[in-house]
Amino acid sequence: MTTFYYLLQQLINAVSIGSLYALMAIGLAMVFGILRLINFAHGDLIMVGSYTALLLLVAGLPFGAAALAGIAASTLAGLIMERVAYRPIRGAPDVSMLLTSFAVTIFLENAAILLFSPSSRPFPAPPFLTRALEFGVLRIASLDLIAIVVAGILLVLLTLFVTRTMAGIAMRAAAQDLLAARLMGVNVNRVIAYAFAIGSMLAGVVGLLWSARVGKVDPLMGFYPVLKAFVASVIGGLGSLPGAVLGGYVLGTLEILLQGLLPPALTPFRDAFVFVALIILLLFRPNGILGTTEREKV
Amino acid sequence: MKTYLGSMLVVVMLLASACVMPVTPAPAPAQPTAAPAAPIKIGVIYNLTGAQASLDAPSANGAKLAAKEINAAGGVLGRQLELVLYDGKTDAATIGNAATQLVESDKVVAMMGFSDTDMTLAAAPIAAKAGIVFVTSGATSPKLPEQVPDYLFMACFGDNVQAAAGAEYAYNTLQAKTAYLLIDKGMEYTLLLGKYFKERFTELGGEIVLEDTYQTGDKDFSAQITKLKGLATIPDILFISSGPDDVGTIVKQFRDAGLDKPIVGGDGYDTPLLVQIAGKGADNTYFTTHSLMDPELGTEAVKKFIAAYQAEYNTPPENAFAGLGYDTVKLLADAIRRAGSDDPKAIREALSQTKDLPGVTGTITFQPGSRIPQKGVTVILVKDGKFTLAAEVVPQKVPAP
Amino acid sequence: MAAKEQAGQASRLASWGSALVLIALVIGGLVATELVASAYIQRVVIGLGISIILVVSLNLSNGFTGVFSLGHIGFMAIGAYTAAILTLPISLKQVNLPDLPSWLARVELPFLPATLIGGVVALLIAFLVGLSLMRLSGPYVSVATMGFLVIVQVILINWDRMTRGARTFSGVPPYTTLWWVWGWVALTVYVVSRLARSAYGRQMIAARDNEIAAQALGINVTRARLLAFCISAFFTAVAGSLWAHFITSFSPKAFYFAQTFSVITMLVVGGMGSVSGSIIGTAIITLLSEALRNAERGMNLGLIHIPPVYGASQILMAVIFVLVIIFWPKGLLGDRELNLGRLFIKRRREVS
Repeated sequence: MTTFYYLLQQLINAVSIGSLYALMAIGLAMVFGILRLINFAHGDLIMVGSYTALLLLVAGLPFGAAALAGIAASTLAGLIMERVAYRPIRGAPDVSMLLTSFAVTIFLENAAILLFSPSSRPFPAPPFLTRALEFGVLRIASLDLIAIVVAGILLVLLTLFVTRTMAGIAMRAAAQDLLAARLMGVNVNRVIAYAFAIGSMLAGVVGLLWSARVGKVDPLMGFYPVLKAFVASVIGGLGSLPGAVLGGYVLGTLEILLQGLLPPALTPFRDAFVFVALIILLLFRPNGILGTTEREKV
Repeated sequence: MKTYLGSMLVVVMLLASACVMPVTPAPAPAQPTAAPAAPIKIGVIYNLTGAQASLDAPSANGAKLAAKEINAAGGVLGRQLELVLYDGKTDAATIGNAATQLVESDKVVAMMGFSDTDMTLAAAPIAAKAGIVFVTSGATSPKLPEQVPDYLFMACFGDNVQAAAGAEYAYNTLQAKTAYLLIDKGMEYTLLLGKYFKERFTELGGEIVLEDTYQTGDKDFSAQITKLKGLATIPDILFISSGPDDVGTIVKQFRDAGLDKPIVGGDGYDTPLLVQIAGKGADNTYFTTHSLMDPELGTEAVKKFIAAYQAEYNTPPENAFAGLGYDTVKLLADAIRRAGSDDPKAIREALSQTKDLPGVTGTITFQPGSRIPQKGVTVILVKDGKFTLAAEVVPQKVPAP
Repeated sequence: MAAKEQAGQASRLASWGSALVLIALVIGGLVATELVASAYIQRVVIGLGISIILVVSLNLSNGFTGVFSLGHIGFMAIGAYTAAILTLPISLKQVNLPDLPSWLARVELPFLPATLIGGVVALLIAFLVGLSLMRLSGPYVSVATMGFLVIVQVILINWDRMTRGARTFSGVPPYTTLWWVWGWVALTVYVVSRLARSAYGRQMIAARDNEIAAQALGINVTRARLLAFCISAFFTAVAGSLWAHFITSFSPKAFYFAQTFSVITMLVVGGMGSVSGSIIGTAIITLLSEALRNAERGMNLGLIHIPPVYGASQILMAVIFVLVIIFWPKGLLGDRELNLGRLFIKRRREVS
């Protein structure tokens, strides 16, 4: 395999994984923008959606229906989470909200362990997702292509939503200045609900793609994705939607690049290098690549 | 007001904890000879929650099933067997506390548990200090017995044994002269397995052409695959030292990349996830394990066990660890029977003299002076998506621990 | 006016008095535990002490300076491995760490020096890391410190010459006793309280509450944060060494996210910015979770048999955590210290 094809292959890997990270990061960024809340439990939304889809698939439903149900389940779970755990503490210091999201995560994960047993269960993805397409020397998993295409479509739809619809514009207003938005008559509760709903829906989609890629689901499966999403958001700049997308692709590319290009003695240190790169980035741009310098009003 | 409430809450919670916690050790139970009805207590610690639960929960189920069967048949020495079960929560401090409670409050006469070295080492020294044996059902590091002298026994073969069996099978039966080695750097089990395989395989005359590593939980192996495909000739076999959670993904990606040489591994492959995730790719994969858990192709003991497990828990045994937990209880019961009493020292003596005890996962014999059982290694070949018996191997030579 | 002065003096006297009584009670409690309590209770008390050191030192960074570090367990790992490598008997070193550099392979230190060295190594690393990180704030510093945790984990797993990589590090001499742990607890609490009450402490709190105003007052925010970060790293590493010599065998995975969450839970429940809050929060969580762990094994209440529900204790702890955050968002004690003197004075006033 020539270097060119090798690089192309890795590029596709990077964009594919980057798409998943980007979709997740958007969910986090949306909620952070308005509430200044980093929702660690976002990862468990992936888990909720995947298990719902899995149970329905095993029960015999066609993949399309199960997938939709999974996404719906994630969305619902996100809305319930907002109503039950986060609304009561709105206005609390940022740190408290972060910690509450930890607690919600622990709760959901242990509940899943009790309900579903801690072992992984295989995810019976349909053949169209698991096939590998061949273009000459290149082997591309159809999953990668689908991830890229789905992410692209969703991003376009999202952009239209936040720029063209009243609800979307209201969300951006709330993210910019919550108090002013409220004074302007924006229904803050509804806007926050929208943010959670959209973010959770995206998490549901990521859940399906992730489960198909890895081939199995388990109660703790949301942990690493949400960590990556968190890092991706920070890279791009917390609270910025384009930043989240950018951060997702940068992180995906960085990971694949390091895995492929590091000399064999150093490949085990890949994750360390990713974080070193992150820290260096933060030194030069303390608020991420696209983050606005958030200065407190004195 | 809130501070007052806060402090009241504190006081209430502390009082509540004090009530529920066992503060003083329970009074000593009756002496063995006095009350014939007093149960024989065996301490059981498994990680029923936390990261290790997928291995330990089936082990605990197997253990409970064995105890149930033994008691239904009249118990041991006319007394019922009581398994005192604690959840280790995959946390060393909790495990230490649980082991201490078992020794002090529950006054068990033997202890068992765990499928992992770290966990075992958190509990076994406490048992040993109290003169009580600890039998690990699933930890396979052959270095364990020397780390807890005299009292730590293993119920399964060591990784050096299964790696040697794998190497000999690959060299002699599969006629492999060259090999590729991929090791998970994040687990003791996989590190040791890979090391012992390399040692035995090169000793036999084989050559490791390329060695590579990955981290537990990695999802993407394209870099490693690309390096392998860059070789002039692909080696005869691919030895991939992996745990159960990653093996399906790895095999799938390797096969999808067009690598169809035989893949060889250890008992980490013994999971339904291998075939479920890798699909057709799992074919032409060999691995060493404790027994073939198949309701049609397994031994008589295996078939009975699968049926009983299914009846009790509404699911077939999730993996071989269920069988290991089952065998460990039977192993202890047999030792107690031969010791003729529940004195911990006598149990230890009898245990070390176990000979040819049939079990679900093989026949157990402890050679004099060794606390790792001599058990045959089952080599399984995945064919048409099913586990089939390739061979039963007793390695001729085993690398030192 | 005179009455107020008198009340003030009385309150200070009462504080001192009650502090002495408290110390006497604690020492008495420890003696009792050592002599009378079961080995199990002794283990719980030792574990409690180690947790208190972890939480109080984390509070110095997270609570007092507002730098919410998610990576402190990395320092615990550094302390644990450094001290354990130093105290490991030479014969075991040859077996378990055959590739250790020769100057280390010949060394076998007693407990205190090894622990101190572990602490100092962590402090130096904290200084280097902190130089770059303390300029960040809010979620950015949290993510960066989390990065530190991951980096430490990766290094531990891969630097097998020194750490045995992912394999179990066993054979650590069991040096930790009740007195060692609680001696360090006393020292940690003393240092952190004094620091919090000192000029430096006031600078830290000022910087936490309003960074811009503090800078306007001439406070070097970064320096204050760095000091807190380094000192807290020192004590966290000491706790790591104590833990290593208590559990006696461990591997890198013990120093990762699970341990991080459990320490943060205790910190939050007690109240960030309050030393007595940390102690109380840790005590509540530790004792409560032990109690729940015993309860979840099933109970016999007279005729009713409650079956075991393993994992229930973790869920209950999470629920309690959420409740505490909702009703006491700043923790049970917030950022006030427990002032026993005032409690007594209040009662006297009510009586008259």
